Amino acid sequence: MSPSPARIWVVALRVVRQLKRDRRTIGLITFAPIMLMILFGYALSGEMSGINLGLVDGGGHQLLRGNLESMSDFDVLHLGSESDAQRLIAEGRLDGAVVLAPEGVRVLLDASSPQISDAIAAAVQAGAAGERATGSGGNASPITRRYIFGYDLEMIDTIGPAVLGLVIFFFAFIVSAISFLREKTLGTLEKFMVSPLSRMEIISGYILGFSLMAILQSATTLLIVVFVFGVPMRGSPITAFAVILLLGAGALALGSFVSNFARSEFQVVQFIPIVIIPQIVLCGVFWPVQSVPEFLRPISYVLPLTYASDALREIMLKGAGLADILYPDLLALAAFFAIFFAAATLMLRREVG
Amino acid sequence: MAWSEARQAVSARGISKSFGRQRVLDELSVEIPSGLTYCLLGPNGSGKTTFIRAVVGLLRLDGGDLQVLGRPVGEVARLYPRIGYMTQHKALYPDLTVEENMEFYAGLYSLTKKQRKERMEELLRMVELSAHRSRLAGALSGGMYQRLSLACTLVHQPQLLLLDEPTVGVDPRVRQTFWEYFNRMAEEGKTVLITTHLMDEAEKCQRVGYMRAGRMAAEGSPEEILDKAGLQPILKLWLADLEESAALLARQGYPAAVKEGTVLVKLEARAQVKEILALVEPLDMRLVEPRLEEAFLLLAEGQ
Repeated sequence: MSPSPARIWVVALRVVRQLKRDRRTIGLITFAPIMLMILFGYALSGEMSGINLGLVDGGGHQLLRGNLESMSDFDVLHLGSESDAQRLIAEGRLDGAVVLAPEGVRVLLDASSPQISDAIAAAVQAGAAGERATGSGGNASPITRRYIFGYDLEMIDTIGPAVLGLVIFFFAFIVSAISFLREKTLGTLEKFMVSPLSRMEIISGYILGFSLMAILQSATTLLIVVFVFGVPMRGSPITAFAVILLLGAGALALGSFVSNFARSEFQVVQFIPIVIIPQIVLCGVFWPVQSVPEFLRPISYVLPLTYASDALREIMLKGAGLADILYPDLLALAAFFAIFFAAATLMLRREVG
Repeated sequence: MAWSEARQAVSARGISKSFGRQRVLDELSVEIPSGLTYCLLGPNGSGKTTFIRAVVGLLRLDGGDLQVLGRPVGEVARLYPRIGYMTQHKALYPDLTVEENMEFYAGLYSLTKKQRKERMEELLRMVELSAHRSRLAGALSGGMYQRLSLACTLVHQPQLLLLDEPTVGVDPRVRQTFWEYFNRMAEEGKTVLITTHLMDEAEKCQRVGYMRAGRMAAEGSPEEILDKAGLQPILKLWLADLEESAALLARQGYPAAVKEGTVLVKLEARAQVKEILALVEPLDMRLVEPRLEEAFLLLAEGQ
């Protein structure tokens, strides 16, 4: 039987009808993200307190490295390569970086924030002087400076786009996991199984219905991020919207899939830490993926929020277009959606004892 | 084969199903002819629900042959547009209204707008919910909820109707309406398969299957089951001359006894009533049917 758009629509329409009647959930899905954004916004809206300094350790200079790491003004982030450092400075996520190599020390500085640049340069000079005094660095270690033009961004600007993705993912996941579980406990799922409705139509209708919710939610959250917190929107809001919806669809599919492993709402809630916390920690929301320990990075690269937050930053902060984020971001998000859509459909089949 | 589809709505031969160590269906065989009301009776845990779930293809059987509307159960998905299935869970959305629930199910079966409207009106009338159409299902009483669940199951006019305990919590008057509706469906050639643990429900069906421990302990029309159990109807006669008539009947070979001012005659067949009336002229009489319940208890003991 080929999928019938009419039947998918019947399921989607029902989901929307139920949502419309459920005031508390409407409140949850619209105001909770707003509240979260406001919370993040004010908590992170000041100028950055510490100086975010990247450190690329190419060998030697133990003393200088130790000095920089121990300075209380600096939040030191260990990076794998100089190009990572350049990129992060350009994105406004690092104030500067120090590249240590036996043949010399290179200091990368953000030209858009001279005061911070001076502070970094001074610290490196002082450290290098100390090395010379003890003779540990050797005299043959020249310090070179390079200026990169980054953004003069507030913290909310770099974090806002990623938090936007996180918030949408979180709520789409919970709402779909719990309401799909309800289909099981109400007995409606069993009844669907004995109706012309195919498994694919069930999942499609579900995701379509909740996507309408996600549109509402994404729109309000996006507006808050841009108009209340003044996070730049240099690219097209439509493209940003498309990224958010694709991420939301992935979260809905994941929620439907996960609900198969839960027998009660209580158990669904226990999945939240497993699904959400890794994404907060590993997906470059608050600190760049490049600073995640190397052995954990493969996980970062399978989590959808890594790609969504990257794409949203590119669009909002750098004005990237659809073509710029197609690979790998959009492709990865589409793959995540496709995999969990298929998995959710297949899991329904397994329900049959 | 078209004719077999017309004859047998469900045909099971030696079907088995175990959950872990528990054997829920134990080489069960049963033929459920088309166009009648069939009751699966049995204590809790006897395998009634499991059997129905097997018929609708929700269970993979361990063995045996199961045909539904003339097709192997593996192809049952193609028949879903013609099957109505009501589970013990009511399968309704409490946060949708009566009408919205029905519209939703009608939509799944791709009914046209006109068909939908007609069917909904008819069914709402039948389950006596017309006046409550705009109420949220969650605000209905238990019996009303049950009635709505039935209406949703019937919305696409199924050829084969499978109802798992459909009358629980429904008051006797509405229950009567249900039965009239089921009988009308059977007259139209549709098959209604009902599970229940209530004997008086079973007596309303044209055929009854009594399940015990995953097997069919007895099967047939209610009358046949009574015969099988060796339970006979008793003819109670009010006569002017008690002793004399009793003696007369006894001489003719009828087991007659005088009790509490009446003569009781155990019948071997209902046709004997006519013969007895040729011998005596009672002032009044009554045929006392044995209860199906007693028959099942007897049959169960005999297992």
